[in-house]
Amino acid sequence: MDGPSWSQGAGILDLVHDSIIVRDLDDRILQWNAAAEALYGWPRREAVGRNLHDLLHCRDPERLKVMEAGLHAHGAWEGEITRTTRDGNPVRIDVRWSLQRGHDHSGPCVVETGRDLTARRAAEEAAQLTEYRYRNLFQAMSVAFFEVDFAGVGPLLLPLRDAGADLRSHLAGNPDLVREAMRRSRVLDVNAKALSLFGAASPEEMIGGDVDRYWPDSSLPVFAEALVETFEKRPHMMTETRLRDLAGSELDVLFTVSWSPESRRSGVLLIGVIDISDRLRAERMLRQVQSDFAHAARVATLGELTASIAHEVNQPLAAIATNGEASLRWLARPEPELEEVRRLAGRMVADARRAADIIARIRGMASRASPEPVAVAVDDLVTETLAFLDRELRIREVEAEVHVDPHLPLVSGDRTQIQQVLVNLIVNALQALDQVPARDRRLALRLHAADQAVRVEVEDNGPGIPEGETTRLFDSFFTTKPAGLGIGLSLCRSIVEAHGGRIAHETAGRGARFVFTLPAAVGAEPFETHPARPEMSTHTKV
Amino acid sequence: MTPDRFVSIVEDDESLRDALLGLLRSMGYAARGFACAEDFLAVQDGRCGCVITDIRMPGLSGIEMTAQLRRSGFDVPVIMITARDDPALEQQARAGGALCILRKPFDSEALLDCVERALAA
Repeated sequence: MDGPSWSQGAGILDLVHDSIIVRDLDDRILQWNAAAEALYGWPRREAVGRNLHDLLHCRDPERLKVMEAGLHAHGAWEGEITRTTRDGNPVRIDVRWSLQRGHDHSGPCVVETGRDLTARRAAEEAAQLTEYRYRNLFQAMSVAFFEVDFAGVGPLLLPLRDAGADLRSHLAGNPDLVREAMRRSRVLDVNAKALSLFGAASPEEMIGGDVDRYWPDSSLPVFAEALVETFEKRPHMMTETRLRDLAGSELDVLFTVSWSPESRRSGVLLIGVIDISDRLRAERMLRQVQSDFAHAARVATLGELTASIAHEVNQPLAAIATNGEASLRWLARPEPELEEVRRLAGRMVADARRAADIIARIRGMASRASPEPVAVAVDDLVTETLAFLDRELRIREVEAEVHVDPHLPLVSGDRTQIQQVLVNLIVNALQALDQVPARDRRLALRLHAADQAVRVEVEDNGPGIPEGETTRLFDSFFTTKPAGLGIGLSLCRSIVEAHGGRIAHETAGRGARFVFTLPAAVGAEPFETHPARPEMSTHTKV
Repeated sequence: MTPDRFVSIVEDDESLRDALLGLLRSMGYAARGFACAEDFLAVQDGRCGCVITDIRMPGLSGIEMTAQLRRSGFDVPVIMITARDDPALEQQARAGGALCILRKPFDSEALLDCVERALAA
């Protein structure tokens, strides 16, 4: 039935990607290659011998007649037909038929090559959809997008790289070269967000131009890095930088570049620019508010201590005035008492120094936070703080017991802020002690070296914190005091956590114990000796 | 004032207490200093002609000390000095029987005037 020449050729036909079907003039299938099996789902042994048009349910008998007529009139026909696979799916096929006159021992036959259009059409449609989606995203997203033709930059930089230059350091040293690369980078397309962000009235103001004008000098390193990463074939890059709009104003932006293999081949980069000016402005404001808040809280603390401070400052001033008055009277005597006057003058100098020291301490508390962290010896800070609060301690007849671990490391931080934590905790303790008879009042401060940190305990034997209130203690505006603002402990927590430490309340017998830790300064040696440093335990006499 | 009578100064701040003692001595007065109200109350030998006291001190305040003096039948004149600008406290001090109330830092002339008035009373 099937001619020997076709059966001999079957092996070769199987290597062809197109389907090849040979049939006799009665449409009986003689040959059916592997591509035909794959396309229609019918294996060769089931297809051979069947009627081709019946097998594949060719849908349009009228059209088939026209095609057959064309074949016999011209010896060939080509066009698209729709058939049905074994699974019942329609397939659109581009077919070529050619009529073969018979050889010696085989009759005439029709050779068909076919190519599946369904898959190609689907691929084309998918490509169109992808492009459509890409364009939609490109236009609709609230990210400013640039398509930049980068092809002109290659000839500028590739010879350098190929000559063995380190592009990164070379560009860092040659800002003119970076500028030249910018002039060679042309904007192919921008989206609506890019127009509004960069202040363009129409796309023409940006498309076709180079990117040089968007880059202030201060941002050149970012562009240079983008060049280097392009040549290093990185998939993407993201960094914060500043760009310039068309009017010359600088914008804080998140700058992203993405490279796909296709875009790299065609030399087109997709650059996304997100305006982060608002976010940075908000962050700056937040920092300002935090700093103002901390300052206000310190001033509020000072306000609570006003009576103490006024008393502290007025005491030496009153002594100075009185000593001065007495001196004048000793001098006004018929025989001036110079020895008395000398003694009083010495006292006046001492009292003036004392007043100056008090004022310096208050100024330290009222000052704005120092921005640079410094190495802080927490035990010195405790001594200073107790001196600052001396009057508050004395008026309540409280003597602070201070225990200092002899190998206390330094911590890194803001002296004023750490002192504020100490002031707040000690003032809280003193206020709690108001409810205890004077002779029973105890305030303990303990400083321990603990696991790369300094652990500070402030403990009183006041009434303590009611059980249900301990969890909210550090919340803002939570207070157990009738006239409290509820910012003290919340601020303490912000400060301690900003220093990388933790603060907590612990139950201590019947009183309250607040514990905070501050990480040891990196590289700081624990003090072996310290002049005037109390060894284990002292009672302050300030 | 008779030579065996003296001015008592009750002030917890040692430096100011010494300064007041020095001023009174420079004026020819005899004076004794006390670091707290309790120390002063412990010595009532009838030779005190006038008391100068701070209002706010550890332990008894100047006002409480005056009240205790009056309850014990002593009507010695009391001059109070305060570092605080607190009208309510001054009102309380006046009601408690203070002859004069002075604010720190005070004018020495004013203090000496008060002392003279107190001793003349």
